[in-house]
Parts: sequence; structure tokens; C-alpha cells
Amino acid sequence: MLARLALRNIWRNRRRTLLTLSAMVVSSALLILALGVFSGMLRDMLASATEQYYGHLVISAKGYQDDRDMYRNYSPEAIETILQHKQSITGYSLRLRSFGLLSFARNSSPAELLGVIPALEKQVTSLQNSLVAGSYLAADSPAGAVLGAGLARRLGVKPGDDLVFVTQAADGSIGNDLLTVSGVFSTGDYGHDNSLVLVPLGWLQRVMVLPGRIHETALRIDDPLAAAASAAQLRPLLPASLEILTWGDLLPEMREVVASYNVSRLIVVTILYLATGLGILNTFFMSVMERTREFGVLLAIGMRPGQIRLLVFLETFFMGLFGLAFGILGGVVLSLYMVRVGIDLSGTLTPITYAGGTILPRLGAVLEWSNVLIPALCLLVVSLLAGFLPANRAARMQPVAAIREE
Amino acid sequence: MATLSRLLLVVLFFFSIMAVPALGEQPDLRRLIRQVERQYTGESSIATVEMTVETGHWQRHLTMELWSLGRERFLVRIVAPAKEKGVATLKVDNEVWNYLPKVDRVIRVPPSMMGGAWMGSHITNDDLVKANKIDEDYDFQLLEENATSWVIEALPKPTAAVIWGKIIYRLNPETLVPERIDYFDEEDLLVRQISFADVQLVNGRRVPLRMTVLPVEKPAEKTVLQYRRLQFDVGLEKSFFSLGRLKERR
Repeated sequence: MLARLALRNIWRNRRRTLLTLSAMVVSSALLILALGVFSGMLRDMLASATEQYYGHLVISAKGYQDDRDMYRNYSPEAIETILQHKQSITGYSLRLRSFGLLSFARNSSPAELLGVIPALEKQVTSLQNSLVAGSYLAADSPAGAVLGAGLARRLGVKPGDDLVFVTQAADGSIGNDLLTVSGVFSTGDYGHDNSLVLVPLGWLQRVMVLPGRIHETALRIDDPLAAAASAAQLRPLLPASLEILTWGDLLPEMREVVASYNVSRLIVVTILYLATGLGILNTFFMSVMERTREFGVLLAIGMRPGQIRLLVFLETFFMGLFGLAFGILGGVVLSLYMVRVGIDLSGTLTPITYAGGTILPRLGAVLEWSNVLIPALCLLVVSLLAGFLPANRAARMQPVAAIREE
Repeated sequence: MATLSRLLLVVLFFFSIMAVPALGEQPDLRRLIRQVERQYTGESSIATVEMTVETGHWQRHLTMELWSLGRERFLVRIVAPAKEKGVATLKVDNEVWNYLPKVDRVIRVPPSMMGGAWMGSHITNDDLVKANKIDEDYDFQLLEENATSWVIEALPKPTAAVIWGKIIYRLNPETLVPERIDYFDEEDLLVRQISFADVQLVNGRRVPLRMTVLPVEKPAEKTVLQYRRLQFDVGLEKSFFSLGRLKERR
């Protein structure tokens, strides 16, 4: 009975209700969209940092990631048990790293070579999707090279050209050999585009005189944001000389970006809903004041103050539910548009590398349940809070005074 | 007033006379250091050198042949071991090229790699390019002069682009042959020591035939250069130091 009364009361003053409702719908829809775009940017940035280079988790000899000392290497046999841990690892890549001089004709440039097994590397990084010329390393390529666009431009090479790589090998000799450019990638990340080169693992092991050795194993896991938990799970399986690091350990700035994202999300939600909450509070206060006589009559004919409070509460609750339903609908539709189509800003912006990740000049979005549920729940809580004061006021009225009021 | 200003002039004149010997000493030290820095090259030279490089991870023994002309040109070619035979370095003015026989390519060392190790030793490419200019880029001062050694301090000129913040030379006072050179970085921290031994008379000049480079940060590491054959004033032409010669395999 109270519920029906509440519903009817809502629709008695349509204009007011629709105005309030539209404020609720627009604010929650926009919030869902904003959070979706935010998450999209974060995901792109995290992906550029982890899926272009590091991977989500990295196993290396203790201290290797601090100084990249070529002698801190290990044999892949040491981590065989870990790689069989299928429920948490979705991909892995064995890598050997070397810094040296890359040269073509009269041009030469320092470069970072990453010796990889192409089929494995594809499980962890997505450079194969960023190729601008040529093709990725072939599975059986003896001496192919995929290099960054900036490096390729500086050396003046195109696919098919022969490069010379020179470095100091592990036995002190001058390691040198030819590479044939098979592809050029462009990720938007300044560092990688200007120095990174992928080469076959076996080739680099031979040039560096480190047969059968690797410097790191990059792992891919399902949820990059749960990397710390996965690392903790795998850590006991490691030999004492090795360590497992998360992308957060390798890119502490990136971890802070994620943390600051959570804080700024909170701030945006708070500001938007404070404004919406004040609007709802205003509407209900007015509707309660306007109906002072009506409440007086209801009290006079025997309705208890508790029921009056519940009645006003129910009105705000229903308004909240309506707002929520349409808000979610609008927000999800807008987000889906951004997921599918997005907005291309490359005409006005260039990629920005920040905290080891790259912000691409394209606005996209991801649809995450938390980004829908948080605005929805907040809206409901805010509308109930905003209903609390008017409901209390209505319940505490004196019947005689209320009826006499003009 | 007039007497006072005249007095001032006299005093100034007196000081300027005092200053002259000090200024006059500079070129001498400069010439001395130039001799030290060029003790292995002279006007032109041919040498055979055995280089031993030790690090915590490996030990290497190389035999090399060297040709040099003045301070601007030199050519080094590895003759042993077999794995690296034919690897060569050519320096002309400020440029350094390496030749790699295995891939038959000449590589120009870019400015960003000048600080890198040369042939895996504790000598950098910069040493090859800039060491011969030390007498131009630094100012010298005699710190100590006693019966056992002369100690000369070299500080970079304010405008010079240099690698070392300070260099201390210790010379034998009789022969003026260096005994030890200490290299300091900008923070006045000792980074590298080069000591000299086995002084012999070569074409009428005293030359220490063994040179040991010690990187102070890595006590387990060193590079020893032992001159097996050294000849000065051998009449090499500028045209000898060409990219074509660099690629020559013998």
C-alpha cells in the first residue's frame, strides 16, 4: 500500500520529478562513461608498458634488473616447474639481452638487443601488432631482426638490409655478426622505438658466447592488476638465486599511476554525486514542504510517523531506482560506443610516453563491472541520504499545526 | 698624489716581473706532458704489443700491431688469437673506425659510444681520441719536486670538453719517464691508475715498455700492455691511414 502511494506521489508533479530524474540519469550515465574512458586509458597505458616490453611478471637472477649485468644469467631448466604452473601463467618468453653497437653503411647507433624465441615472445608482448614495415621474426629465422622505427630511421634501413651488431661477448671477445632486417615496429614509446631490437635467441646466445643461457623470463598472466598476488604464489617455487618481479616493481611510476587513478576516480565520483545529491535533497524538501497539509491529514486520520517516514523514503528510493536504471542504460550505451568506435585525437595529439607507458592519441573505453556498479550504488546511497532529511521532517510534524499551515 | 701613483706603477711593474717566471714555466710543463703522452708514438712509429686483459670473468691475451703518425693518426690490427685476427681500429683526427673481418664490415664508432671499452680492455675509445690532446686541454702545475719524483697536477681548462677532472703525473726526475699517472673524475675521486715499468732505450729515447691500467673501482681487473717491438721515425705517409688499409688482412 505504502509503495503504491509512494509511486503515485512521485508522478503527481511530473515536471519536478522528470527534472530530478534527468539530473540523476545524466550524472550517472556520464560518470559510467568517464570511468570507462579512464579505465580504457589506464589499460592502454599498462598494456603499452607490459605488452610491449616487460610482460606482467619477470623472472631473472637476483639484481639483474638493477644493473643488467650480462653475467647474471641462468639456464631455463631452473624454472621449468614454474612454467608448468598453468593456472596462473598464460604465456612466457625466454630472453637474453645484450647492449651493443648496431651499424649499417656509415651509420651506427647503440641498441638493446633482445634474443627471443618468436613463437614464445608473441605470447607475452604484442609488438607483432605494431609493425609498420616488413614482418615479424619468422619461427626458423637464423638471423632476422625486428627493430624500432626511430632506430631504423637513424640507421637508414628497411626490411631486407643487412645490419652489423658488435658487442663485448661474455668471454671478453668482440662478438659481432650480421642481422637481416625483417620488420620495423612503431609503438609510440620513445625508448623502445629508438633502441629496441628483437633477434633470435640462438643467434644472440652464439654472438655473446652464452650458449643455453637467458637473462630473464617474461610471463603473461590473466589479470595484470593482480600481478603481485601471482608473484607471491610463484615465489616459493623459485631457486634461491632467482627473483620474480612484477611490472609494478619494474615500473614503480606505473604503479603510482594506477594508485592515483583510483584516487581520482574517487574524487570524480564524490564531486558529481555531491552535486546530484544536493539536487535530489532540494526536490524532496520542496515536495515535502508543499505537502505539509497532506501529511497533517494523513497523521490526523491515524497514519503513524514511522509510516510517513517510510513513505517519503520509498519515494526517494523509487526515484533512485528509476534514475539508476536509465543511468546505467545510458552509460553502458555511451561506453559501448566508445569501446567500439572511440574518438581519434591523432590529428591534434602525438603519443605521450609517461611512467613507462604510452598514452595513445585515441580515446577508447573498457566496460568493467566496477565502473557501472560503483556509480549505481553511489546514486542509490546518495538519493536515500537526500531523502533522509525530508522524511524525518515529514514524520515529526504536529497534525494540527500542519493542517492549519498555508 | 703623483708620487703615490708612480709608486703604484713601480709596485705593479715589480709584480709583473715576478709573474713572468711562473708564466714562463707553464710551457715547459706542457712540453714535458706532451712528451709523456706521446712517448709511444713520437713523430711516427711501428710497434708490436701484447695486451693482457683481466676481469673477474675472463682473461684475454691479444697480440697487436700498431702504426702511428703524429697525434692524429693511428692504426691497430690484432694478429692473434686466431678468432680475432684481422680485427682493426683506425683513428684519423676525431674519428674512430673498427673493422670486423668476420662480417667484412667497417663500423664508425659514434660519439655516444666513445666512452665504451676499446677491444674489451680498460682503455676507452675516448682515450684513443682525446689522450693525445691532454697538453692542449689542461693546465699544469708542479706540485712536488724531490729526489725520487716530480709530481705534476693537470687541471682541465674551463672551456675544454674533457673526460678527467684531474690528472696527477709522477715522473722520474732523472729520465723524465712517467712512473704512474692517476686519473680523477669531476668529484675528485680516483678512477684509474696507469703505472709504467720496464724502461728501455729505443731510438735514443727512454720508453717504459710495460703499461698497466688499473680501474680503481674494480680491483680484480687490469689491462697490461707490453711493447715487444717499438721503432720511431719510420717515415709513414698520411695516406697509409686509410679505410682501405684498415680492411687489409694479413
